[in-house]
This record gives sequence, structure tokens and C-alpha cells, in this order.
Amino acid sequence: MARPHIEPFVDRDVPFKKMTLPGFPRGMQYKMLSLDTDDGACTMTVLYEPGYKQPPGMSYAEYELFIMSGSVTIGEKVWGPGSYIFVPAGVAIEAMSSPRGATGLLFYNYGEPSFVESDSDHKHAERNRLAMVNSYENMHWTSTNFFPATAPGCMVKVLRFDPRTHGFTFLYCMTPNFWQDNISYHDCCEEAYHIWGTSWMMQFGDLPTGGYFWRPPYINHGAFASKLGILAIGRTDTQLYNHFHFNPWTNIEENQERAASRLLNRNPELYKWVNSHGHNHPIDFEFDHGHAHGDMAHHHGDGMVDHKHKKKKRSRR
Amino acid sequence: MKSIPHKRSREVEAWLRKEEVEQRKRYRKIVAEQEALSPKRDKWIAQFLQRIQTRGVHTHYDQMRKVRPEEIPVKPKRKFRVVF
Repeated sequence: MARPHIEPFVDRDVPFKKMTLPGFPRGMQYKMLSLDTDDGACTMTVLYEPGYKQPPGMSYAEYELFIMSGSVTIGEKVWGPGSYIFVPAGVAIEAMSSPRGATGLLFYNYGEPSFVESDSDHKHAERNRLAMVNSYENMHWTSTNFFPATAPGCMVKVLRFDPRTHGFTFLYCMTPNFWQDNISYHDCCEEAYHIWGTSWMMQFGDLPTGGYFWRPPYINHGAFASKLGILAIGRTDTQLYNHFHFNPWTNIEENQERAASRLLNRNPELYKWVNSHGHNHPIDFEFDHGHAHGDMAHHHGDGMVDHKHKKKKRSRR
Repeated sequence: MKSIPHKRSREVEAWLRKEEVEQRKRYRKIVAEQEALSPKRDKWIAQFLQRIQTRGVHTHYDQMRKVRPEEIPVKPKRKFRVVF
């Protein structure tokens, strides 16, 4: 069932557990925030104990690490609070250590946490996608450039943007006395963790420091407010579009209907095209991993959009 | 390549099962806590529906519009859920 709706959850209420998965060195602890029960993808708060040492190695799934306190050393470079590291599947990073300890957030995408000691990349690794930045020191706050946009006082730093899905990872902040009086929902999953501060949402109440949510698509959230401001990290799996409204009681089905109706009005030609092709294999010529061969989700005009099958071999004549 | 195909060990499968059980508990706790918040939430909603008629509802960034009384939605009879 992928990840359930976890909102709100405050990690300060639960203790750290020792990481016991094979391959991970001793000295790493975690709190599970959410887990995809299909593929094992998950989000965890992690604690690297002082003296933690990890040899060079890779993961079978891509992952993102955000340092909240303390520091880790990767190779010879020290990454302190605000550091964000995106490691594609199979990319081996240099030895990592944390002489004085650190806390962070660790996001495994598309697969369960894994660590394989290795000083070279896997043959399928895409090293060109590796990204490391200290977002506190080397990035500026910008206004959100979505349309329609969040109210003034909510700013972002985009840490990673996936050009194919338009999913992104971002720091966001709310200034003191931020308020936004509307209700929102999105077509994407949304996830966030409060690094510092408390914000309020009309459905869920206060989300304090250490507060977390994983919210599937089309779930109402808002109005919003924050008395003293917040600093948080957020992620989406696809494009974030703010479907604003003011009816507190709509349910997921009604929100989906409205979103589909808006798609019809915004992109009428695309809507018609998608609905008029019996065997629907959308092809993106820019992405050679995109596969027009049936191993991506598609349908045969029957609405079974999660349908997949393996590439059929073509006989040569 | 989002994830590299590999075989999961029994330890990994066991770890995932354990975490799944704990997640179900977490989910049930959240649902119960949010149910208990209902009286407060009803007040917040009533205040919100007042504010959007006087100060307005945000439509884009700093743009707001005042909602007319006849536009105010009526609470449906079905059970109201915030966690799905």
C-alpha cells in the first residue's frame, strides 16, 4: 500500500533504535518516520554516535542525507548542519566518519536501506547525479515560484529537482506571524520534517520541532499559521501544484474529481490525447530509461493504469 | 536508475516486517489522537469560515478575496476524517 498517511508524528516522543541491518557499521541509530511497505523506501531520523566510522560504500537505492546537528566527514570534507547529500543508487561514496557525532534525516527512495562496502561504483550507477551542498551557508532563500503560490513569508531553498517527475527536495521556512487562510491539496505525495519551530494546520493542530508528516495526494491541509516561524525540510514525489479552496469537508474523491476537472481545463489537448489512445504507452524521448516497452505503468484503454509487463522481444526477419 | 535490482536477505525481510508492524501501531495512535482533536478542530473551522468572509481567503500569494455568505460550505452528514 505504499506509505500510509502519517500526520502528525513527533519523533521527540520516541527513542532511537540501533541500526541492525546487515552491512551498516555499528554506531548508527534511527527513528523510523515512515516506511513504504511495498518497496522498503523509508524516511528516518538518524544519529551517528561520536566516533562513528563507515567504510567507502554504496546503496542499492538512491538516498538523501540532511545533517541537522554535529557533522560528518566524507573523504576529507566536513559536512556540518544544513548539509545535503544526494547519492544515486550504486554510487560509492568515500569513507564517512563522525568524530563528535551528528543527527540527520536519511531518505531512502525506491528501496529499503542498504549499505554495501565498496570503493567503486556499481555498473548501473549514475555518478553525474551525485550532489552535495551546505544549504545553510551556500544557498539563498527564494520565494516559492509555484502558481498559485503560498502566502508571503514562506520561502524555499530547492536542494534537488527531478527533471523528469518534477519531484523536489527543499528547505522551507515560515517567518514569525506567518498565516495563510486557505485549504490546499496536491496531486503528489508530500513529506516534511520540522528542524525547528512550531506551525499550525487547521486539520492537525500544532506541529512542533521534530514534527513530521507523510501525506498522500489529495488530502486537505490548511489553513496555516506560525507564531514564531519555522525551519523545515520537505519533499514531493512529483510536481507540487497548490489546489487551493475553502471547503474544510471535501474528501479525497471530491478533491481528485476537482483536480481532474482542472486538468481538463488547463491542458485540454493533452487530456483528450491521453484518453483517446487505446494502448497507452507515453514515451519521453529525452529519457532513455523511460522505456516505451511496457515496463512503465500504462494501460490498455481499460483504466488499469498500474499495469506493467516486460519488454516483448521483437523477432528479426 | 532509481534502484538497483538485488535479492533481499532474510534479516532485511524480518526488519521490514517488524517496522511495518510498528508503523501500523503509529498510524492507529495518530488516528485516535486526531479523533480526540475533533472539538477543537470544529472551533478552528468555524473561525476560519468567519475569517474568509471578513479578511478573505488566499487565492495566490498575497491576493485574497472575501467569500460571500452564500458560498460558505455546509458540513455534510458523512463522517469527517482528516487522516486517510
